Amino acid sequence: MSPAGCPHVNGFKVDNWKQNLRVIYQCFVWSGSAETRKRKKEEGGDPQPVALSRPLQAKSCICHMCGAHLNRLHSCLSCVFFGCFTKKHIHEHAKNKRHNLAIDLLYGGIYCFVCQDYIYDKDMEQIAKEEQRKAWKLQGVGEKYSTWEPTKRELELLRHNPKRRKITTNCTIGLRGLINLGNTCFMNCIVQALTHTPLLRDFFLSDRHKCEMQSNSCLVCEMSQLFQEFYSGHRSPHIPFRLLHLVWTHARHLAGYEQQDAHEFLIAALDVLHRHCKDDNGKKANNPNNCNCIIDQIFTGGLQSDVTCQVCHGVSTTIDPFWDISLDLPGSSTPFWPLSPGGDGSTLNGESHLSGATTLTDCLRRFTRPEHLGSSAKIKCSGCHSYQESTKQLTMKKLPIVACFHLKRFEHSAKLRRKIPTYVSFPLELDMTPFMASSKESRMNGQYQQSVDVFNNDNKYSLFAVVNHQGTLESGHYTTFIRQHKDQWFKCDDAVITKASIKDVLDSEGYLLFYHKQFLEYE
Amino acid sequence: KTDQLYGHYCSCLFWLNHRLKELLRAKLTECGWRDQLKAHCKDVIKEKGLEHVTVEDLVVEITPKGRVLVPDSVKKELLQRIRAFLAQHAT
Repeated sequence: MSPAGCPHVNGFKVDNWKQNLRVIYQCFVWSGSAETRKRKKEEGGDPQPVALSRPLQAKSCICHMCGAHLNRLHSCLSCVFFGCFTKKHIHEHAKNKRHNLAIDLLYGGIYCFVCQDYIYDKDMEQIAKEEQRKAWKLQGVGEKYSTWEPTKRELELLRHNPKRRKITTNCTIGLRGLINLGNTCFMNCIVQALTHTPLLRDFFLSDRHKCEMQSNSCLVCEMSQLFQEFYSGHRSPHIPFRLLHLVWTHARHLAGYEQQDAHEFLIAALDVLHRHCKDDNGKKANNPNNCNCIIDQIFTGGLQSDVTCQVCHGVSTTIDPFWDISLDLPGSSTPFWPLSPGGDGSTLNGESHLSGATTLTDCLRRFTRPEHLGSSAKIKCSGCHSYQESTKQLTMKKLPIVACFHLKRFEHSAKLRRKIPTYVSFPLELDMTPFMASSKESRMNGQYQQSVDVFNNDNKYSLFAVVNHQGTLESGHYTTFIRQHKDQWFKCDDAVITKASIKDVLDSEGYLLFYHKQFLEYE
Repeated sequence: KTDQLYGHYCSCLFWLNHRLKELLRAKLTECGWRDQLKAHCKDVIKEKGLEHVTVEDLVVEITPKGRVLVPDSVKKELLQRIRAFLAQHAT
């Protein structure tokens, strides 16, 4: 198995071999779907015969000796012959005709009958990769995961730094306590959640931040440093005094030694990180919607607001970016609309209604319900050219990779300031499909039984961090549950980290709930 | 009408062929099956020696093991998904 290929390909690499090889890949190995080929012809692109659609092409891909199509079918590279590998039909052909090369129709590998093994010729590999990418694009699949191959520079670095850290099941990498610097648990709890956000961790540990800020006050650099501390393997608690100082500098409303709100800190931190990241791209964009920093990539979703005029039924739609979803709770002064227990959301997310306990999906259903804006809140309708009553409905247009739900437990109304301790049960796995704008559209088109795409995994989320608040509004304490390996949870209480059970996590009150998309696609 | 049916048939094939495969791939990666087999491949290579081992050696060793190692939970879930899909799309 030599990476330099084999000498027997030279006989093949004559005349128009590259184009011939491409055609083989396009037609028989990495072929597109029936619809895309037809579309391609209609758009006046490649003049491919429409007849070469998938079902027909599948028919032509059979062994010329036995008619089977599932026995590791190979195509001869020198003539039009298909043969089974398993039954050695292609081997017979190779021997009889002295055609030494064949291609595996399933994976595109090139087999040499003289070397008696699959060979890897650089030029042919290149063509294979290109054709595969083209086919994926045609199918609308986009870029797929391919394993990492180190560059020369990276190999050099690896040789110069021989120390390696192996992640085993029980290792405590990434876990580290944080000293409380005087009512700073509101900051500590968020730091724990952020340092255990998988994508954010990967971004910082692969050193992707290239700082262009002149001063020493870049919060992204500090975040990077924080990740280094957390994943260093040190077990003593970290003292985040520099972080605290930077927060006081950039978010003055959070400065001071009083207890602050963890949710406010989260939003402020994301905002500062987002602003400092923007300086990275060199694009000091005036348009905040044009940012592609890591914060936006991970946390930013799109919330669609549809306002429907009750008279002409015209709909006015706006989409606003969001970093979190704040949900009202029953027991607050804003009425929690009476919802029947169960219904789409809950059965989908398998939540139990223990004696009528409110669930997260109940809160989401309430959040996305159509709300009638009363006669005192008429909207100017562009269709009717006058003020009319309307209904407003919120749905998710675009889901972020990390969805943060904020349960509004702190009530700050004119008269009272209090904490709402209502228990809200939340699931380990969450499906956001019922709350999507697209689901609402299909509901409106009369498809009440939503044809759920059973293979669509886009809206599935997994819980990975829970921030809890114990105590009252005046004196309280924040702690965080974080998920380390797949099913190992830990409780982070300032400097003290202890192992927690899934039950501990799910039974907790819940203030900020962090969910991560289960399946990630490349753009 | 036949055009419609044919189109429907093609798109069902597409979904089954691509989406189902993708789902299976994801499930097998998730449950560690892929890693297990990768580790087994490495063992075979070590045993036979890097210079002498062929793809065929690996195929012979890995295929039966791979079949056995698929967890029941994955099989069950795939079946469920296929049933649900067919229930929805059967005309």
